Amino acid sequence: MKMLCVFSVTDRLKYIGHLDLMRAMQRALRRSGLPIRFSQGFNPHILLSFAAPLSVGMEGMREVMEIPIEGDVSPEMFVEILNQSLPALIRCQSARLVEDSSPAPMSQLWAANFSILPLEYQDEIMAAVPVLLSKTSIPAMRKSKKGMVEIDLRPLIHNVLVKDNSIQALLALHSSGTCKPDLFIKALSQCAGLEAPVPCKVTRKALYTQQFSPLEDM
Amino acid sequence: MDEKTLAAIDRLLPQVEKPARYIGGEMNADIKERAKETAAFAFCFPDSYEVAMSHLGMKILYHILNKQPDMLCERVMMPWVDMSDLLKKEGIPLFSLESRTALYDFDVVGFTLQYEMSFTNVLEMLSLGGIPVLSAQRGEEMPIVIAGGPCAFNPEPLACFIDAFVMGDAEKAIVEVTRLIKRMRLENKPRKDILLALSQIEGCYVPSLYEVTYHEDGTLSSFKPTNDQAPSKIRKRLELDLEHLDYPDAIPVPFTEIVHDRVSLEIMRGCTRGCRFCQAGMLYRPVRERSPERLVELAQKLIKATGYEEMSLSSLSSGDYGQLAELIRELMLRFADKKVSLSLPSMRVDSLLKESLEQVREVKKSGLTLAPEAATQRLRDVINKGISEEDIRRSVSDAFQSGWSSVKLYFMNGLPTETEEDLIAYGDMARLVIDAYHQVPKGQRSPGLRISLSSSTFVPKAFTPFQWDAQDTLETIKHKQKILRDVLKIKGVSFNWSEPELSHLEACIARGDRRMGKVIYRAWQLGCKMDGWREFFKYDLWMQAFEDCHLDPAFYANRERAGDEILPWDFVDIGVTKKYLWLERERSLLGIVTPDCRNGCDGCGLTRFEGACVS
Ligand code: SF4
Repeated sequence: MKMLCVFSVTDRLKYIGHLDLMRAMQRALRRSGLPIRFSQGFNPHILLSFAAPLSVGMEGMREVMEIPIEGDVSPEMFVEILNQSLPALIRCQSARLVEDSSPAPMSQLWAANFSILPLEYQDEIMAAVPVLLSKTSIPAMRKSKKGMVEIDLRPLIHNVLVKDNSIQALLALHSSGTCKPDLFIKALSQCAGLEAPVPCKVTRKALYTQQFSPLEDM
Repeated sequence: MDEKTLAAIDRLLPQVEKPARYIGGEMNADIKERAKETAAFAFCFPDSYEVAMSHLGMKILYHILNKQPDMLCERVMMPWVDMSDLLKKEGIPLFSLESRTALYDFDVVGFTLQYEMSFTNVLEMLSLGGIPVLSAQRGEEMPIVIAGGPCAFNPEPLACFIDAFVMGDAEKAIVEVTRLIKRMRLENKPRKDILLALSQIEGCYVPSLYEVTYHEDGTLSSFKPTNDQAPSKIRKRLELDLEHLDYPDAIPVPFTEIVHDRVSLEIMRGCTRGCRFCQAGMLYRPVRERSPERLVELAQKLIKATGYEEMSLSSLSSGDYGQLAELIRELMLRFADKKVSLSLPSMRVDSLLKESLEQVREVKKSGLTLAPEAATQRLRDVINKGISEEDIRRSVSDAFQSGWSSVKLYFMNGLPTETEEDLIAYGDMARLVIDAYHQVPKGQRSPGLRISLSSSTFVPKAFTPFQWDAQDTLETIKHKQKILRDVLKIKGVSFNWSEPELSHLEACIARGDRRMGKVIYRAWQLGCKMDGWREFFKYDLWMQAFEDCHLDPAFYANRERAGDEILPWDFVDIGVTKKYLWLERERSLLGIVTPDCRNGCDGCGLTRFEGACVS
């Protein structure tokens, strides 16, 4: 069986990298004494699978990972014990048992919801949101293995809501198309007539499937 | 810190290379409430986070201080260059990892001095932390700045920057010192009273209470206290009962990868083999062991609390631990199913137990590391490295037979009395290893023999029998390194050597006197920091600093001292007497070997410490 877990990484821990987070999870699981399945071979480790790496500098509120387990443990127990072994700023919120054959969360991931809080030029940025959305195409440059390539962001922006001083953006996060928040912010800043992208506090709020239901419920 | 500064820190972090260095929040990092009565201690490590977090001593003292109900200890490391530039630019003081408190806001700021090349970082950290770099310029409200660690045994080069040094085992001393400072600060006692009170604690040296005079030739003519309460000799702190000494049962687990990312278990302290170049061997006498039972208990707690997948046994010479085979067997038994591997770093060539070697391999296969230090028997006798060619042959054969195929050999070049013959013998050493490999039948040995030889330049250190000796000049070192490179052009053998300029500077500072402080200060002003990092080391600026201070580096590095010269560190009593060191020096020149004193006391002087070396 596998345990499908929802967890958050907040506050200062947004500065640890993806590999750091994986290592921290491995060690937390080792400390926990939970019945985890290890890989075979000379350097046994836990085959954790994360839905999507979290960029350095970004908090994640409902991240998803899968942990292979062996033996009996209830999801509630699992969450409780894991949380005792995790650093205070990483919290496991819920867990669900799934079959080994169930698809990996990464393969079901389609989009992510981001909360974007501009730290400067708030008014200009907010005013630029409808302008940006009214465009039929938003050309942007994205780094790829073959160097910089041009992409159109517009179809990758699924939905944008403005609330008080923050922007809720549902952006594509999928192998066939991804709109990273920094590209979105860059485009928005350009729309607002600003030369450099505005510094923003970005939080990844939740991950979604193609049906736009929460990834953890897939 | 106020909200504005905290927000500013948050804006800085995304701009630096590895922000995880500055965030704390690791598993087992302690965040304690600070009340008015709490003694707040900033544990400062003058090097990067990755180096600092690999250091065992820091973890021990961090644990001990945080265990005291009336104290808290937070960590501060040397920020990487990108971060220190930003801190300066934004006017943000250097802060602690845990609660982001500015360095100047602590009661005690304590540095651990692990190597001379980190001294400019001490100045940089003080300055970034909003604390006047010179001790004499610190106001009443400023923290008391203390320092310990191996380099505190010759404290003079840092005498004008550090308020008080703590020499020797710090487990108990650090608590006494911190408590005294806090109590007197709460009573609003003036700084000078606190310092005088500190000078009354055993092992504590307060440089401002002493005065040095010099002969015309630059050597010391006198060293004496200016206050009649200050002791004329400082005796190191010695904890004899390691078994009952506090040891962490949990340590912070870093998020980022660090140099030594594992549990390290200090199985014993001290080493009595008496290698004559080795400062730690003299400083940390006598040998004190923890029992296997205690170690297994600690190991279990630490693995449980950290989730580490690797553990190492740490000491100056782990191979000499009395019950090594039992300890390893016991640890393996407990951890095999927890998937924890065991590594033995400073294993010595002549104490490799074949049995334990095989057991270790079961868990983790890494290369065999040997440190013959010198390539000829004659020179090994001079330095009292009691290893024969036969020992080396046997060790590598055993290793090859057990399926290992990579060997690292460590040497020192520039040792006293070294000749060209000693250098040419490096080649023989490499060939000996190759032969031993080929003697194991093809099917039995692992393929792909890898031999690497490393040679560092000998740096004469205070408190060793070579403390009177001259280091080779830069030209000689470079010439010798060229010979070694030629001699070691052998297929399958790689050769590494240390940067001669760095060793030369290390030699200057390691045996520096108080005036060296001016050079360090000047070098720091000129922009020297992170000197231990090749990419930041600026030899030319250091040489300019010497010139600006009218001091000659050769006086410190390349001069042979007379037997009756007052050495700048003579006032420190490490247990081993100067007389004994001189005797060892004479034996060395005669090629006389001194056996390990476990098998019979050699009268080094340690018995003057109550309870030491009584069987
Ligand atoms: S006093 Fe004797 S037994 Fe003790 S460390 Fe010195 S030589 Fe060895």
